Amino acid sequence: MNRCDQGRRLFGAYWDDEVTQAEREWLESHLAGCSGCRQQYEQFARTLETVGSLPRTDTASDLPERALAAARRAAAVPDRVAVAPARPLWVPVTAAAAVLVLAAATLLPLIGGQGGQGGTRGRMALGEKPVAEPYLLHRSSEPLAASTPAAPVSTLADSLFDHSEDVEFILDPVVLQRGRAQAVSNLPAGVQGEQTVISF
Amino acid sequence: MGRVAEDDERAFTELVRRFQGRVGNLISRVLNDRENTDDLAQEVFVRVFVHRRNYRRGSKFSTWVFTIAANLAKNEIRRRVRRRNWFSLDALTEVLSDSLPQLADPTESREAGMEREQLQGAVGRAIATVPEKYRLALVLRDIEGLAYEEIAEVLGLPGGTVRSRINRARSMLQRKLQPLLRKQDAP
Repeated sequence: MNRCDQGRRLFGAYWDDEVTQAEREWLESHLAGCSGCRQQYEQFARTLETVGSLPRTDTASDLPERALAAARRAAAVPDRVAVAPARPLWVPVTAAAAVLVLAAATLLPLIGGQGGQGGTRGRMALGEKPVAEPYLLHRSSEPLAASTPAAPVSTLADSLFDHSEDVEFILDPVVLQRGRAQAVSNLPAGVQGEQTVISF
Repeated sequence: MGRVAEDDERAFTELVRRFQGRVGNLISRVLNDRENTDDLAQEVFVRVFVHRRNYRRGSKFSTWVFTIAANLAKNEIRRRVRRRNWFSLDALTEVLSDSLPQLADPTESREAGMEREQLQGAVGRAIATVPEKYRLALVLRDIEGLAYEEIAEVLGLPGGTVRSRINRARSMLQRKLQPLLRKQDAP
């Protein structure tokens, strides 16, 4: 890059008074000795002087009032693009429906019972077939071996409950011993069978 | 501006009165369109009012209002270019080149005032032919007199990019006006 190119690159900063003292001195000495660059800088300066002296554009004197009226209109009409998205309609509707379902599930057995009867009996009044409640054949605290003689495997119920009319899953209590789970066995002594432990 | 944010309408009209000249001038010079300046300036102030609660207290209001005006001017330029209406850059270049010989001929401009007016018209049209991204920076700097840092904030650009754009814009403008300035210099 020759000295003239270097000088012309500084025109903008020189005009804005953003050159260092050393750059200023160097450029001014160059302009004093180079007529081409001096002419270029004069044109540059005249261009910016003309741009800076362009007449200001007059705006309407009633612009504040007009702007206020337009601003009121704009403020009255919400933006087409909402700043914060509105809550979807389905949220309150779903919440209300859920509350209704819960309330109905809680209150219907009481209302249908008529006089403190259970829900099952209430349904019986409507002509539905009752569901048999499971009943305990024996308590785990009473050892089977003591009261009942050992029965063949084929005739022994595989659960504590008689679920001939219903099916119900029974989870036996689990005892933890040194980190290993062991279910309390309710099988009578002498009965052979496999016991499955399900750990959670 | 704090009062405007609290819905004080008198403060808003006072704010418009104080800044309408600078906002109008910026729009007029960037678009080279005086006819629609009032409408566009009004739109700027409507946006100020609508978004008054987004204004950060303590920041410079002029920077904020110029940011809104610059964005609106940019959108307007793009809309006009898309529609290819009278605001065609090619057409402006033609108008500018046609006007230069007339301006340069001293026998055709008898009165100095008229010559100055024509010169200013030619400069205004020359500015309008500078590409948009350079033009905005040029107008903010050389017409509105904003500091480089403030221009960087208004345009959302790094300071170095702003300086580079302003230098490019000045060079373009000088090249466009060179024939006119040379002939004016000639005896």
